[in-house]
Amino acid sequence: MKKNVLLIAVFSFFFYSGSVFSEPTVQEIVNKANNVSFYQGKDGKASISMTISDNQGRTRKRVFKILRFDIADGGNQKFFVYFSAPADVENMVYMVWKNVDGNDDRWMYLPALDLVRRIAATDKRSSFVGSDFVYEDISGRSLELDTHELVSSEQDTYKIRNTPKNSNEVEFAYFDVYIRKDNFMPYKAEYFNKKNKLYRTIEALEIKDINGFPTVLKSKATDIEKGSNTIIEFSEVEYDLGFEENIFTERFLRRPPRKWLK
Amino acid sequence: MFKRIILFSVNKPKTIIAGVIVLVILGLIQFPNIKIDTDPENMLSEKEFVRVFHHDVKKEFGLYDFIVLGIVNDKLEQGVFTVDTLNKIYAITEEIKDIDGVIPREIISPSTKDNIRQGGPGMIVFEWLMKEPIINEEQALMIQEETLDNPMFKGTMVSENGKALCIYVPIEKKNMSYRISQEIKAIVSKFKGEENYYITGLPVAEDTFGFEMFKQMALSAPLAGLIIFLLMFWFFRKVKMIIPPMILAVVTIVITMGALIFLKFPVHIMSSMIPIFLMPIAVLDSVHILSEFFDKYQQFKNKKETILHVMDELFTPMLFTSLTSAVGFFSLSFSHIPPVQAFGVFVAFGIMIAWLLTITFIPSYIALVSESSLKNFGHVKKEDENHSLMDNILQGIKSFTIKRSKLIIALSIIITLLSVYGILHINVNDNPVKWFSKNHEIRIADRVLNKHFGGTYTAYLIIDSGDKENEVFKEPDMLKYIEGLQAYLIKEGKVGKITSLSDVVKKVHYELFDGNKDYNIIPKTKAAVSQCLISYENSHKPDDLWHMATPDFSKTNVWIQLKSGDNQDMDEVISQVDEYFSLNKSPYTVKHNWAGLTYINVVWQNKMVMGMLNNFIGSFIIVFFMMTFLFKSPIRGLISMIPLSITILFIYGLMGFIGKDYDMPVAVLSALTLGLSIDFAIHFIERAREIYAKEGNWEEASKELFGAPARAITRNAFVVAIGFLPLLASPLIPYRTVGFFMFCIMLVSSIATLFILPAIITRFPKVVFEAEKNSMICSCKYCMIISFAVSLTIIYILRGYTGAIWTITTLISIVIVVLMSGICSKLSKHKICIIDQKEDK
Repeated sequence: MKKNVLLIAVFSFFFYSGSVFSEPTVQEIVNKANNVSFYQGKDGKASISMTISDNQGRTRKRVFKILRFDIADGGNQKFFVYFSAPADVENMVYMVWKNVDGNDDRWMYLPALDLVRRIAATDKRSSFVGSDFVYEDISGRSLELDTHELVSSEQDTYKIRNTPKNSNEVEFAYFDVYIRKDNFMPYKAEYFNKKNKLYRTIEALEIKDINGFPTVLKSKATDIEKGSNTIIEFSEVEYDLGFEENIFTERFLRRPPRKWLK
Repeated sequence: MFKRIILFSVNKPKTIIAGVIVLVILGLIQFPNIKIDTDPENMLSEKEFVRVFHHDVKKEFGLYDFIVLGIVNDKLEQGVFTVDTLNKIYAITEEIKDIDGVIPREIISPSTKDNIRQGGPGMIVFEWLMKEPIINEEQALMIQEETLDNPMFKGTMVSENGKALCIYVPIEKKNMSYRISQEIKAIVSKFKGEENYYITGLPVAEDTFGFEMFKQMALSAPLAGLIIFLLMFWFFRKVKMIIPPMILAVVTIVITMGALIFLKFPVHIMSSMIPIFLMPIAVLDSVHILSEFFDKYQQFKNKKETILHVMDELFTPMLFTSLTSAVGFFSLSFSHIPPVQAFGVFVAFGIMIAWLLTITFIPSYIALVSESSLKNFGHVKKEDENHSLMDNILQGIKSFTIKRSKLIIALSIIITLLSVYGILHINVNDNPVKWFSKNHEIRIADRVLNKHFGGTYTAYLIIDSGDKENEVFKEPDMLKYIEGLQAYLIKEGKVGKITSLSDVVKKVHYELFDGNKDYNIIPKTKAAVSQCLISYENSHKPDDLWHMATPDFSKTNVWIQLKSGDNQDMDEVISQVDEYFSLNKSPYTVKHNWAGLTYINVVWQNKMVMGMLNNFIGSFIIVFFMMTFLFKSPIRGLISMIPLSITILFIYGLMGFIGKDYDMPVAVLSALTLGLSIDFAIHFIERAREIYAKEGNWEEASKELFGAPARAITRNAFVVAIGFLPLLASPLIPYRTVGFFMFCIMLVSSIATLFILPAIITRFPKVVFEAEKNSMICSCKYCMIISFAVSLTIIYILRGYTGAIWTITTLISIVIVVLMSGICSKLSKHKICIIDQKEDK
């Protein structure tokens, strides 16, 4: 692992040599963090097990696979989400075309109703299948929507405050992200409401290098107000599998590309 | 022993008065610790199943009690759906979120609710119904269309005609509702416009009642005091002699309330009435003493001798009237309703305190008054002038009752039968909102909002499959079954609006199919239901689902809204639901149960009715014992119970005829009536027997009987009846009810005593007057009556305190009756009796 960290450091050195001995700019930090979190490799695949626990300790489970295809690093992406559990939502599929400069395109396929529907994504702050994660947490919030400010730079952590440019569009006033200095991996986000009260957190509970990429293997979203939390665990994480872009189309919603879902 | 107490009081008055002052101070220092409880839920013990269940349900489904803020605009065609009003609603909601004790994320308002709708061909949209203030009428119209197209909002958040909108404000605790409602009112006042704002909901009604109750308590007890003071002044014309009973009443109230607070009992709606009950009752005995003292003083011309004579004469009747009243109230402790128990026990305690003070404090006070100031006291002539009218009437009654005794008895029987008929038609019903007078803002809000909406009264029907594995409430058949139940209840007409899981599934289903109403149905397969639900979970408020189902889908909550909080209506809905369940077989085995404040009110009310009936029977038996003992004959005991029995039958019969609901205050009255109106019979029969012993002739005796004794009874009735009248001025209906019925009870029972008792005596003088030739135990017949009463008492006490079941108690009672009859027949053949019988022959 250390080797990988070193590799990244060396890698960074070549690209950002001008800033190695001084602090990177805020924009540099958020750009890198964004890439580390959402754009590792050219594409990626993971199996996800999601456990939603409410304030009474009752839990619900969801199991699904995610396929990701990057059109450009830090730019547009395409996702597939295939559900396998619970049994009654098996083969349900979500597809997202993330557009950095505008609204995403979203589709869902409901096999029991044999129905494909587009979901208007005017707002990405709606819940992801009933969990404490919202869509934006899964696909990434566009950096353009917020202003970024370096609040502190501790020994090994940058703390960035992100304040929305249009505060009416979201339920939070701002959120702070804690980013590791060594690999630019964000490991905690704290959301504050308009009364400046912390009401929601997302934490990376386990980070590991996979194929040379620092990867979050366990993450937890907590809704402090509601007293609920959701833990997602990643397994079978793979990068650079070489999908073709054309599998991310409506046609494949009904006929998932088996080859990539094994 | 009691004689010694009285002598001590007369000889050492200062000691007694010092003692009283100490007690008053002890009582007063408790007052700052007063705890108030206005929650009718506490009518049930905390361990009561329905309460435990209600709280479990609230927790399990994340439900809260809520205050309802209604916004109505009847003037405009588009109602509340204008840019101006909707933006006001938005701003008000934002401010309400900041109120302490409000649960912001559970507020139901356009800006806090997520909606699912069509976003063009093949596209659905999840979005906040009103994300931000709007700018044009089109947006307002769109919000109207969307709310009316969503079964979760229509009839709940918006009225079907679009003229009204409700914000549901969930609160942490019910006892915050009055404060929060005041804060909401303050917020709303900033936004006043052509629309009207109303605040209602059971928690507000209940908590506001508590607030008003304390205003009333501070108002009506002193007012009653003032009226009694004036009344006594009219009777006795000597302020100095009226002051001691007034002091006595205040001291009694202070000590009783002090004790109540000291023992950590909260002051509940019931116990707030303790002062107003004690005030007139406490002065009663002193009225008798003063009345007698007033009459006799000129005879003795010595206050000490007079008071000793008076106390001697009145001691027994005073003791018994106090005891019977105390028993009447104490019997309330047999009810299973904690606040009623506390009320009964403390009023009983207060009555005995008042009695103790009467035999100590009053003589002490009189001992301290200078003899010279009593010079003109009890000027006989003056008194006669004042009451000549009363005397004439009383003498008229006397002649009438003796001449027409048969008629009176016949009339009494007819009235009794009619009353029984009326009682059969009595309407058991209560509704905390109706505790306010018709023009109270809560009543107005209640009327207006329930006219527009499905109803502001909430009940939760919980259906439980008990199956934690198979997600029964995702089964299409089960959802259709619930859909059927909803249709059935709406058709029956008592329910205004029902929201269930079926509605969510149907709404999502038809939005998925392009908003085509043909798809407003439950889909065919369980997987399809699941996929509709998981789609719903992609909204901003996925947790709304868990208000309707548990995450394992083993239980579901059907939210039922009633237009009326009357227990009767809730009762009817309960039986409609039972009917549906029995007529239509559920596809899966399920159990159903109820929660929600409207339902809880029904439960404690039903308990109360049965409880009060129980109390009444119990105190009836106990008072009968006391009367048998006092009059040394069970027959005379029974006779003394006749006027009050007829009074109670009459009052409740009347209630049945005029259609007054039998509610909480009315239920409590029966026990009171018993304790208070037996007093008249005690005085009447006691004095009748005394005078008869002197005169030896009923004709002659009756003349004297309808003099001073009848006058005392009439005065007594006046003091109590008028003492309760200030309650009529209260804006709170239960207080008015108590005031009105106490007035009626006193009136009817004094009339019943003065008419029926002389009529009975005229028909059966021997039974009443002649001393038993041998003691009670010698008569097998009487002995049997007593043993029967003993076994009844045992049944009563066992059932009241231990909740023992019938079979055991009946068994014990039968054994007692047999045992007692054995003892009876043995006793009647006892030596003493044989001698007595021989003498008789």
